[in-house]
Amino acid sequence: MASTSTAKKKSTKKDLRAKILEAYQEQLLLKGENPASVYAFCKDLGISESEFYQHFSDFEAVASQFWIGIFKESTKRLGGSPEWDEFMVREKLLTFYYSFFEAIKGHRSYALLTLKGSLLGFKKEFADIKDLKTDYKKWLKGLINEGQAQGEIAGRSKLSDIYDDIFWYQFMFLLDFWRKDRSSNFEKTDEAIEKSVNLSFDLIEKNALDSAFDFGKFIFQNR
Amino acid sequence: MKEQDRIYSSRSQRTGKFLKTGVKLGANYLKHYGKKMVTGEDNRDSLQERNAEDVYEALSSLKGSALKVAQMLSMDQGILPQAYTQKFAQAQYSAPPLSYPLVVKTFQQYFKESPTELFDSFSKQSVAAASIGQVHQASLNGKKLAVKVQYPGVATSIQSDLKMVKPVVSTMFNISQAEINHYLEEVEVRLLEETDYELELQRGQSISEACKDIKGLRFPKYYEEFSSERILTMDWLEGLHLDKFIATNPDQESRNQLGQILWDFYDFQIHKLRELHADPHPGNFLFNQNGELGIIDFGCIKTLPDSFYQNYFQIMKPAISENEEEFLDLLYKLQFLLPSDSEKEVNHFKVIYADLLKLLGRPFFEEQFDFSNKAYFEEVYALSEIFQNDKLVRNAKAGRGPKDAIYLNRTYFGLYNILHLLGAKIHTHSAVNDLFLV
Repeated sequence: MASTSTAKKKSTKKDLRAKILEAYQEQLLLKGENPASVYAFCKDLGISESEFYQHFSDFEAVASQFWIGIFKESTKRLGGSPEWDEFMVREKLLTFYYSFFEAIKGHRSYALLTLKGSLLGFKKEFADIKDLKTDYKKWLKGLINEGQAQGEIAGRSKLSDIYDDIFWYQFMFLLDFWRKDRSSNFEKTDEAIEKSVNLSFDLIEKNALDSAFDFGKFIFQNR
Repeated sequence: MKEQDRIYSSRSQRTGKFLKTGVKLGANYLKHYGKKMVTGEDNRDSLQERNAEDVYEALSSLKGSALKVAQMLSMDQGILPQAYTQKFAQAQYSAPPLSYPLVVKTFQQYFKESPTELFDSFSKQSVAAASIGQVHQASLNGKKLAVKVQYPGVATSIQSDLKMVKPVVSTMFNISQAEINHYLEEVEVRLLEETDYELELQRGQSISEACKDIKGLRFPKYYEEFSSERILTMDWLEGLHLDKFIATNPDQESRNQLGQILWDFYDFQIHKLRELHADPHPGNFLFNQNGELGIIDFGCIKTLPDSFYQNYFQIMKPAISENEEEFLDLLYKLQFLLPSDSEKEVNHFKVIYADLLKLLGRPFFEEQFDFSNKAYFEEVYALSEIFQNDKLVRNAKAGRGPKDAIYLNRTYFGLYNILHLLGAKIHTHSAVNDLFLV
């Protein structure tokens, strides 16, 4: 009995979280701006302010939850595919992007609304996706380690440390591309994913660059 | 606004590629004429070869529909010197293969299932490149299947490629822009049709049904339940591509037999169906050692309108040019001659066309024709070179010839070429002979 009641509690807790997120998105989509205050928002939703604060500290946290949600949804789906374990890291990353952009397609209006400005300005990082950045980079580090262990990705001392940053910019580039994509079914985004991932993996694989670097280092040290 | 910039910049980059080729071609000509002045030698062949190489290089780095258009134009113009056509014969749409995750995504988009869930087995790597996609091998219930998956964004890139290719190709091939326009309308329609795999499925089914009585022909069965706009599933046909087949040194008898099947297939389509598989690329035929011919790829189908059909084959009648009145009438009807032509142009063109028709129609005028005859093809190339370098033709302001002829000419061009490579002797007596009797 006890266990079912906690499960029930947990599920209502989860429902409320989803409810807040949904209401917040709707508000933003219809009115185009944040609610006047958490108080007003809660009143409209018929919940108490303390219930809100149990889940989120402010609206920014709600907004950020949207991106985390999509991210989690798409990474969760990946493990379910029977071929996942056989995939090379390159294919895993491709699969992730395809499933991320598939998942976000259903929320395009909201995404476009919040992504108004370019993501590639670098000036001020878009606050909503800060948490996404942390999660993505953590997930990607795992992939890169896997790739390095299998020899698919070349270890390049200092450079390896910033692989995750580089891939984060690639992700932002793709998100920005998708934002501006007007092709049917976002086919152009598919192409962009395909080409950019292939390019990045051609670069981080063991290749001429490594030999060139190795040779350069040798000359530098021995002349 | 930003998006516009991006498209234009990439287009101008590609145009830049063409211009560079233009410059290179110019340099080749300079070299050629320089050498000629010094040595007095006129080695046009090597000049053409150098040009062909440069053109080919530029085009193959462009890929996609730009390359296809150039191929089309080169075929229709006759019509390019031998060196060009050899180079172009190698040309294939060779985009980098689609990654497996994108293939899976495409499947999920149309069937809500991944290929390994739909089929018993599915090759992760593509086994061949199709014209605008790639082919995977699959199996289901013990049956081997070929699954064609289209590259994303092909249809949109066709339109922008065609716009880009127009001005540049026009200078490259010495054809006026007006003439290019005349062709491009037709080519664009066909190319866009090729991107619709649902249409291809229907056409494949209807043509194979119509041709089922022709002995020795084999068509794949198509599977509607595993096909969509961008995925086409059919039976896997066994057989060899032309070059591999020839490498097995088949005897003359089987060469003739297979060549005859091919000829009969086209003859039936052109004269009975008036609708034809208009992409006689060697890659679309599978030669089987037990004397069967497999036909794949029904992406490009041309329907022949009645009036065009009548005129086109009337003008192929032997000795048509001796009946001046009828001949001129047909030339006007087929727009080889235009009402705006001066008397000088009329007299000039009529001789050229008479020669061209006599030569290209020769296989039809005899009971049997030996396509291994090298001299005949040399003659065709020589004449097309004369045609190509003709001053009046070059400066023609308007397009000549009916646009319906483009794909029919291309078909005959490809058909002659395959039969020549095959070295087949063909009974060309066909439905067309009945027309000649009229």
